[in-house]
Amino acid sequence: MSILQIHAQPSRTTVWILSWLLFATGIVSYLWVSRARHLENPDDRVMPTLYQMGRAFADATLKPAEDDEVTGDPNQQSLATKIRNSMLWKDTMATGRRFLISMALLFPAVLLGLHMGMFPYVGSVFLRFVLFFDKIVALSLLPILFIAFGIDELAKVMLIVVGVAPTIILDSFNLTRGVPKEQIVKGFTLGAGDFAITYRIVFKQIWPRVLNSIRLNLKSVMLFLFAGEMIASQDGLAYRIALLRRHMGMDTIIPYVLWVALLLFLVDFGMRTLNRKLHPWFQEA
Amino acid sequence: MRKFLLILPALFLLSGALRAAGNPPTFTLGWSVYVGWDPYQYMAKSGLLKKWADKYGVAIKVQRFDYAPSLDAFVAKNIDACAMTNMEALDMPAAAGVDTTSIIVGDYSNGNDAVLVRHNLTLGQIPGKRVLLVEKTVSQYLFERAMTINNLSGELKRVKYVNTSDSDIAGAFLSDTSQDVVVTWKPLVSQILKGKGITKIFDSSKIPGEILDLMVVRTEVLNRPDGSGQRFAKAIAGAWYELTAQMAKPGPEGDKVLSSIAEVSEDTLASYKEQLATTHLFYTAPSALEMTKSEQLKKTMELVRQFCFSHGLLGDKTSSPDDVAIRFPDGSVQGKKDRVRLRFDASYMELAAGGKL
Repeated sequence: MSILQIHAQPSRTTVWILSWLLFATGIVSYLWVSRARHLENPDDRVMPTLYQMGRAFADATLKPAEDDEVTGDPNQQSLATKIRNSMLWKDTMATGRRFLISMALLFPAVLLGLHMGMFPYVGSVFLRFVLFFDKIVALSLLPILFIAFGIDELAKVMLIVVGVAPTIILDSFNLTRGVPKEQIVKGFTLGAGDFAITYRIVFKQIWPRVLNSIRLNLKSVMLFLFAGEMIASQDGLAYRIALLRRHMGMDTIIPYVLWVALLLFLVDFGMRTLNRKLHPWFQEA
Repeated sequence: MRKFLLILPALFLLSGALRAAGNPPTFTLGWSVYVGWDPYQYMAKSGLLKKWADKYGVAIKVQRFDYAPSLDAFVAKNIDACAMTNMEALDMPAAAGVDTTSIIVGDYSNGNDAVLVRHNLTLGQIPGKRVLLVEKTVSQYLFERAMTINNLSGELKRVKYVNTSDSDIAGAFLSDTSQDVVVTWKPLVSQILKGKGITKIFDSSKIPGEILDLMVVRTEVLNRPDGSGQRFAKAIAGAWYELTAQMAKPGPEGDKVLSSIAEVSEDTLASYKEQLATTHLFYTAPSALEMTKSEQLKKTMELVRQFCFSHGLLGDKTSSPDDVAIRFPDGSVQGKKDRVRLRFDASYMELAAGGKL
C-alpha cells in the first residue's frame, strides 16, 4: 500500500529481487521467442538459442579465426595457447590497443582545457574554435579524415580523438573556470608562480572531476571506435561483428556484444575505483 | 466514462475486422539502389504496379532499404519479396532456413563489378598487397574468380583483405593513395575510375551470368492456401515485364522511362544509361527464361555454393554445401533433396512469356 511512497523502505531481499526483475524478464522473453522461432524454423539464425550462443562463444575463445594459418597440432596446445590464438583474443587485443591509444591521446586534451581556463591568451586562441569544433559531427567528415590520416590505425584513433576530445577540452575548461578566484589570489600571496598555481592548486582539484568526465565519455569513445572498425579494418571486435552480419551470425554476435559490455563495465568500474583510491576526499556521484 | 473506455477497444477490434474483410491482402516488396532494381521504385511510383496488383486482387507496398538491412528484413520475415543477388539469396535467407523462391531473374552483372588498381598492377602482383572490399560479398567472389581464372588461386592466401564499408569505399580509396587495389560495384566503380592513375584490370563481363540479380519471394508466402501469394508473384512479374518492354523501346520513348527511373533513385539519365551498358538486363521474359532454364545457371550456382561454403557463409553448423540445397526449374537438385532452401521457379516468367498474365 505504501510501495509508491517516497518513504517506502523495501527490504534488502526485495531490492535485490527487484533489481534483477528486468534482466529476468528480458532473458525469459528472449528465450521464449527464440524457442518459438526455432520450432517453426530449426535453421533460424536471427535469435540463436543459449546452447548455440554458448557453442559459438566457445569456438570464438578456443579456435583460431577462420582465415588464420593454424600452427602446430591444436590437440597438443595448452589452453592458454589456444586462447591466445583465438579469434576473440585477437579481436579484443586489436580493439583494446586502439582504445588505450586513444584514451592516452585524450589526456593532452585535459591539459589544453586547463591552460585555456588559466591563461587568457591560450583561451582566446582556442575557445571559439573548440566550441565550434565540438558541434561538428565527426563521422560525416570521413573522406577528409581519410585524406589526412589514411585508412589505417591512425585514422581510427583520430576519429575517436576528433569526436571526443572537444567535449573533454570544454569540460576541463569549465571545471578550471569553476575553481574560486580567491584560491588563486591566495596562492599568489603565498608566493606561488603561474605554473605552481595551475598544476598544484587548480589541476589537483579538477583532476578527479575530469577523470569522471572521461569515464562518462567511455561510451562515445567505444561508439567512434566501432564506427571506425566497421568502415575499414582487418581485425577488431567491430570488424568481426560487421563480418558476421554478412551471414547473420547472431550466435557469435550476441556473445560478442555482451563481452564488449562486460569489458566497458570493467573499465568503468576500474576508473571509478582508481578515482576513489587516489582522491578519497572527492565526493561526487 | 468507464463504459466508454471499454467500448473503445471493442470498436477498434471491430474496425480492424471490417478492414481485414474489405481490403485485399497486403504484401511488401523491398529493394535497394542498384541499376537492376531501380525500376521497382518507378514501377510503384508510376502506378504500373498498382494496375497489376488490382488485377490480381492484392495490395503491394514497395519499400526502399540499404542492401544489407533489406536482407535482414527478408530473413526476419518482415517483408515478403526482396531484390538480391543469387549469392545472397543462398547465403542469407536460404542458409538461415528461410525457404526462398526466385521468381524473376532480372539481369546479370556484365561489367558492373570490377577490380581497380593503381600503378597499373597486374593480378599477379596483388598477393601480399592489401585489397579494399566488402568482405564475403560478390566483390570477394569476383576477385577470387579473377585469380582462379588466371591460375593464381594458390596465391589467394597472401592477399590481405581490408573489410571496407560500401558507403565509404570510394572516398577511402580515392583519398588514401597508399592503397593499391579496390574491388567494388557501380556506380562506385565509375566514381573511382575518374581518379588519377586508376585502371580496371578485371570486371564481371569476364564471368558473364555468374552474378545474377533476382527478385525472390518467401516460399511460404507463395504457398499460401488462399492463393494470394501466387497472385502477388504474378502481379510483380506482369508489372516487371510491362516496364522492361517500355525501357527497351528505342529513342525518346525509352529514354523518357529511363530518366524517370533514374530520377526516383536520385540518379541522372546519363549515369543510369552508363550503368545499364554494363548490365545484361533481360528485357523480355523469354530471354530471362532461357537463362533460368540453362545448364549454365547450374554451373554458376555450383561455383557460388562452393564459394559460400568454403568462406563459412552457410553457417558454422553447415557441414557440407549439400545442406543448403538448390532446386532448378527442371526439378534437378544440387545438394540433399530433403533440404531444398533455394528454388528457381520459372513458371512466372513462363506465364509472362506466353502472354498469360
